[in-house]
Amino acid sequence: MADARDEALALADTAIALISAAGATDADAIVEIGDRFACEARDREVTKLERSRGRSLRVRAFVGTRHATLATTDVSRDGVAALARRVVAAAAFVSENPHAGLADPIASDGVCDHDLGTVDIGVAARADEEKIDEALAMEQAVREADERIANSDGSRVRDSVVSWALANTRGFRGVTQGTQVSRAAAPVAQDGANKRIGHYGTAARGWAAAESAPAVALHAVHRALALVGARKPATMRVPVIFERDAAATVLADVFAATNAANVVLGNSWLAERIGERIGNERVTLVDDGRLRGGLGTSPFDGEGTPTREIVVMDRGVLRTFVSDVYWGRRLGMTSTGNASGGGGIAANNFYLAPGSGTLDDLVAATERGVLVLDTIGFATELASGTYSRGARGIYIEDGVPRYAVDEFTIASTFGEMLAGIDGIAGDLRFDGTIVAPSFRVAEMTIGGV
Amino acid sequence: MLTALDHALLARVLSRALRRGGDFADVFFENRLAQTFRLQDGRIHEASSIVVRGAGVRVVVGQRAGYAYSDDLDEAALLRAADAASLIARDGRAQDVVVALDAAPAPALYDAHAGEPADSARYVDLLARADAAARAFDPRIASVNAFVADELQHVQIASSDGRVVTDRRPLVALGVQVVARDGAQRENGYVGDGGRTSIDVFDRTTPEALARESARIATIKLGALEAPAGELPVVIGAGSGGVLLHEAVGHGLEADFNRKGTSLYSGRVGERVASDLVTIFDDGDLHGERGSVAVDDEGVPGQHKVLVENGILRGYMQDRLNARLMGVASTGSGRRESYRMLPQPRMCNTFMPAGTSTPDEIVGSIDRGLYATSFSGGQVEISKGDFVFMIAEGYLIEHGKITAPVRGATLVGNGPDAMTKVTMVGHDARLANRSYTCGKGGQRVPVGVGIPTVKLSSCTIGGTGRG
Repeated sequence: MADARDEALALADTAIALISAAGATDADAIVEIGDRFACEARDREVTKLERSRGRSLRVRAFVGTRHATLATTDVSRDGVAALARRVVAAAAFVSENPHAGLADPIASDGVCDHDLGTVDIGVAARADEEKIDEALAMEQAVREADERIANSDGSRVRDSVVSWALANTRGFRGVTQGTQVSRAAAPVAQDGANKRIGHYGTAARGWAAAESAPAVALHAVHRALALVGARKPATMRVPVIFERDAAATVLADVFAATNAANVVLGNSWLAERIGERIGNERVTLVDDGRLRGGLGTSPFDGEGTPTREIVVMDRGVLRTFVSDVYWGRRLGMTSTGNASGGGGIAANNFYLAPGSGTLDDLVAATERGVLVLDTIGFATELASGTYSRGARGIYIEDGVPRYAVDEFTIASTFGEMLAGIDGIAGDLRFDGTIVAPSFRVAEMTIGGV
Repeated sequence: MLTALDHALLARVLSRALRRGGDFADVFFENRLAQTFRLQDGRIHEASSIVVRGAGVRVVVGQRAGYAYSDDLDEAALLRAADAASLIARDGRAQDVVVALDAAPAPALYDAHAGEPADSARYVDLLARADAAARAFDPRIASVNAFVADELQHVQIASSDGRVVTDRRPLVALGVQVVARDGAQRENGYVGDGGRTSIDVFDRTTPEALARESARIATIKLGALEAPAGELPVVIGAGSGGVLLHEAVGHGLEADFNRKGTSLYSGRVGERVASDLVTIFDDGDLHGERGSVAVDDEGVPGQHKVLVENGILRGYMQDRLNARLMGVASTGSGRRESYRMLPQPRMCNTFMPAGTSTPDEIVGSIDRGLYATSFSGGQVEISKGDFVFMIAEGYLIEHGKITAPVRGATLVGNGPDAMTKVTMVGHDARLANRSYTCGKGGQRVPVGVGIPTVKLSSCTIGGTGRG
């Protein structure tokens, strides 16, 4: 795979030269070369088979302090040169901005082969037939798991090997590589006249580290069956437990509020609150760009800033926002190493520090409440911090799961939720770039009958 | 700018794709150039240009699809993609393909001059006007973010049945997001518009009007009450309320879910799925609309589809693969985000035509309820049909009158259940602003929605206040 890395770095160098020739005074270029495989099986048939190599280039150009970007899948010299001229011309219409510019010079280590566990060599080596057989086996497993499983939306197995290189006009040259695999299943349970689909998937840097195909299949079946017989709950205010994956979606919304760009633009309920107690003392939020084998792990970020471990919220107190170079300068802070390769600010490995015990322990400690297995809807109220989502899950009474519930809403504010977290399980797993253990919020509004 | 591939080359690639057999193969070529300017904090923050250029080769055998794409457009690279896509086929019966030299032109659906780049100064001026208008609206406007984007996508679809179709699709968008602030309270507003037209559209739909509307929504929420929680009658506002149709019905009628039997609407054509006041269309051929396509991403003309007629389910939205398996014709609904992805059956512009009630009659019929005038988006789970959609602007209804504004909340319901509760339909049908994008299976495509003012006799509201 060294060839893809070499190719990526050479293309980045070429892009820097072309954008400079077009008139940029400073620039950086990111090249990504990805080999991706995906297969899907449904029932006894292989229904999708995809394999491709894709290349993409993204260049940030500065003309003085005016900022322009280009992104292209046409990495030919002529294609890049034409786009470079276009974007440099457009930069003349951008305002002068004293904060715009590259990161301050960073010592470059050429090829950045820090051993952060981002590559599992077994990924590129594994035969497609084995992955296809795994997808077929997951289909068989979901069919045989329970007689109520009447259908399936398909089982999927994917992998990728991605090389990406960054070069800039201040001498930074770096290249790194990551592998990723995923398995997912989507069985459908028949529930009288209703259908209940159960989605479950997992991802990791390598096949051995990922949850096994039978485990993924059974987990998905469990999710489909968990909601059989669900009814609409009463409108009430009760404790709400978020199961691990649902908890991660809450954390993704919290991350967005710590994004320095949103903070500067007033689009965050956390703006101007550094040093304040926001969460319960149980709540510690960390972003760790160097977590060994993490799906968001990389030696440097999309601007060449070395990644590190950042404590964003320490036992409930907001310590820092998460930033790239530009928005950090606007806030008077240095980059936290969270510049995304695609532009903007992104999580590396952002997580809520785990507590102890299990999801079952949280349920057993709940006199009356709701276990949320799944939410639908989006965060649209980042400025105000209002939380309102559709949800599905299990109604709990006297510490025992009683019956499935669906077609209801859960509502609160993010501030009240973080302050109200009164139990965190120990079931954290790094199968995404934003993850959380299961947790309980002391009280939320359930909108139902 | 390369706008199409050579026909003889396409024929060789298609022959290669079918060398192991298959029902059909197609090549999707795309060259898209988009330019965006962004304004933040009163200044032009960034100019960006994006090129998405490449081709994808697909081989279909029954319900099986093989796919591979290439960023390189030389013959060797395209043949490699054809080889990779052909691995899905196993019967080994090779087919020769002849591609017609007379390409079928796509029907004209867009303004003739749309897609020609304007002076950069024009885009910058639009943004500056939006910024000034939003800030002048109210001193509590603390932040304005706006963008204007202009793209032109050339597509060419060659199919092993011999057809080659091209389309030249313009798309413009202007969006204004504001944050209004009063002490520690912050509220946002967002309004956008555009369509498959040229930026001349913003001479008519002015940036000032969009900015003021965005600022109005944000400032109204500063003084708003908590939305109630629980079941109440809900009036869905004309225009963006069409998100209800998109989520509650539209996704569930996409052919892939129905062919596989995973949608709650599977096998129910001809059955009652809504009150008899409900008729829903999905149109791909509305002039200049954001969700329109002269031809879809499989080369089939965009068209008018009746999804639900007076409460009776009439049909699904079909792409080629699913239409073949279900024994019907494609409805021009095969769409994809880019050449790197397989097409899926998708919505275009989904809307409900006018009924007979006046909006005043509808609001006046409710003793206590909610009037949701605009919506920011939604989501659906297609197997049982539970959906949510998010209120951007809403008011309480008390004794038949619109009273206090309420802050954003989610509405939750079940598709057929909600559609059965449509008890009044207004005469004021209209399409929403052209600012919606739909996500499915990791692919985003531009869509349109529309609806007249509609009464749902009951719907669950996800606020925190008392209902």
